[in-house]
Amino acid sequence: MLRKLLFQNQDRKQLIIAITGAFLGITFLITSIHYLIKVNEFGEGAEILGPNTVIVQKRVSTSTTFNLTKTDFSSREIEKIKAESFVADVKPVISNNFDVSFETADPQVPRFRSDVFVQTLDPKFLDVKSDKWHWKPGEKIVPIILPRDFLVMLNTFMSAQGIPQVSDELAMQLKFKFTLSNDKSKEWVDAQIIGFTNEVPSILVPESFMEYGNKEYSLGKEQKITQIMISGRENEFGKVEQLMKERGLESKNSQIIVGRLKSMVGTLFLVVLGISIIAVFVSGLVLIQYMQLLMSKNAYEVKTLLRIGYHPKDLTKQFFFYFVKVFGVVAFIGTVVFLLLKFYLDDMFETGGIYIDTGLSYQSFTALLITFASFTFASFRTAKNGIFSNY
Amino acid sequence: MKIRFNQVMPIPLASIQHSSESIWGNEVSFNTGQKILLNASSGKGKSTFTSSAVGLRNDYTGTISYDELDIKSFNEDDWTKIRREKIAVVFQDLQLFPTLSVKENLLIKSLLQPKYSEVELKNFLEFLGIADKWEQKCGLLSMGQQQRVAIIRALIQPFQWLIMDEPFSHLDVENTKKCLELIHQRCDEQKAGFILTTLGETHGTHFDSELKL
Repeated sequence: MLRKLLFQNQDRKQLIIAITGAFLGITFLITSIHYLIKVNEFGEGAEILGPNTVIVQKRVSTSTTFNLTKTDFSSREIEKIKAESFVADVKPVISNNFDVSFETADPQVPRFRSDVFVQTLDPKFLDVKSDKWHWKPGEKIVPIILPRDFLVMLNTFMSAQGIPQVSDELAMQLKFKFTLSNDKSKEWVDAQIIGFTNEVPSILVPESFMEYGNKEYSLGKEQKITQIMISGRENEFGKVEQLMKERGLESKNSQIIVGRLKSMVGTLFLVVLGISIIAVFVSGLVLIQYMQLLMSKNAYEVKTLLRIGYHPKDLTKQFFFYFVKVFGVVAFIGTVVFLLLKFYLDDMFETGGIYIDTGLSYQSFTALLITFASFTFASFRTAKNGIFSNY
Repeated sequence: MKIRFNQVMPIPLASIQHSSESIWGNEVSFNTGQKILLNASSGKGKSTFTSSAVGLRNDYTGTISYDELDIKSFNEDDWTKIRREKIAVVFQDLQLFPTLSVKENLLIKSLLQPKYSEVELKNFLEFLGIADKWEQKCGLLSMGQQQRVAIIRALIQPFQWLIMDEPFSHLDVENTKKCLELIHQRCDEQKAGFILTTLGETHGTHFDSELKL
């Protein structure tokens, strides 16, 4: 009866508009946050470089071949790139300035030996979870990250020898060794593969090992920086690409494509997120305004109920619970629609060859909870102020 | 519960000359169980008296107290309890809900302190000659019928005081008599008093005292 009395004189059209706005806003809010998180997570853990990071070198042209232009980076050039607003960090890729060869040292596989090129990356840029990624002089085994192409080459060799090929797991159990040398001395250090990479074409070693080799077996030549790592800021990867184009830099194509894709999809979802936040905010405001309008239209009823003995809290509850219920139902339907939409979008991504994690992201539900809590608080304040103003 | 007006002067009435017998600007006490007629001509503040006495307006100087407690110090919990259990009011503008039926108007009040069944509520209406209006919307009733519904609504709650602001203005002598009979009956049952404001008529009934504004 109280509900019938207090919720008469309703303008359903305004309520329906507000509910529709809230429903669309909430659905797209959860969806955009979910996919923003998932797209940003895409590729993480699968590669050793952190997100938005590329290794670049100067493009080799005829003029560089004839030494007319340089292929190495000066410290001034590095500083200039670092100063760009969309660049989070720039670090040189350190290469070996000593002779090093890599060979198998396991009785299970035939001897395979090759002079190699080793590099080290600043640990800040590396996404290596292994606790084995450290080495200090005197330690017998140096951990390495092997280019996947190198394993393919090794397997091609095995196959030619009539020996079964090795898997990633088996390769990580085999023994290898480095031979470090210069004109005067030579040293052997055992090596163990702890991971593989598609991003770097050389064998990666810990920084301490590179420092040791460069110090103890230096060939005496000046060490040039021919590759640098650039880490772009979130969703600004396109600008990094532009910079590379302007400065004649190049990178492995896969890194660029993933970065470009993540940047593009991320921006798209950011825009949707922005619109969703505005939609939720505006529809929330319209609902709150609708509550105020309803209270003002029923001001006589509210005043009379207070005069005949109803407590202001009883009437506050009526308005507060009604609107919280409305928003709760909208949030629930929005969540259900998001789950259906997710089912469809995940399938669409998969069809397109993008295997993003299909688990639910807690961040989108946290956003929903925050939205619901904010609306609950705002409705309570509005209902309380509206009723007590009639007291 | 004793109600006391001590030097009370409503601000909108401060510029008007009041007689020495007037409640305004004097000290007057209403003792438990008293039946009081408050007589005044138009514009002397009968509705202001009712509204001020039940805490609906505070624009006055002086003090109104219940059992020596200044009513301006009461919070919403105190007022809710007082309006449910201690003071029943028949407002001059009745304060009924025109979109609700007579039944709903009575039940919405009765729900707060359930004392009478629907049958008993109907009996009240029967006594005042409007039982056939039970399901009819209040907004469709005549003013006289509405006044009777408002009187019944006030009487179905427990109270120590019944304050009525010109409650019979649209009733004939016969219906007024019936209403007063019911009012006396309910007041006597609860040992409650009443304050009845009128425009000078005594309605031919018994009063303990007659006051002026």
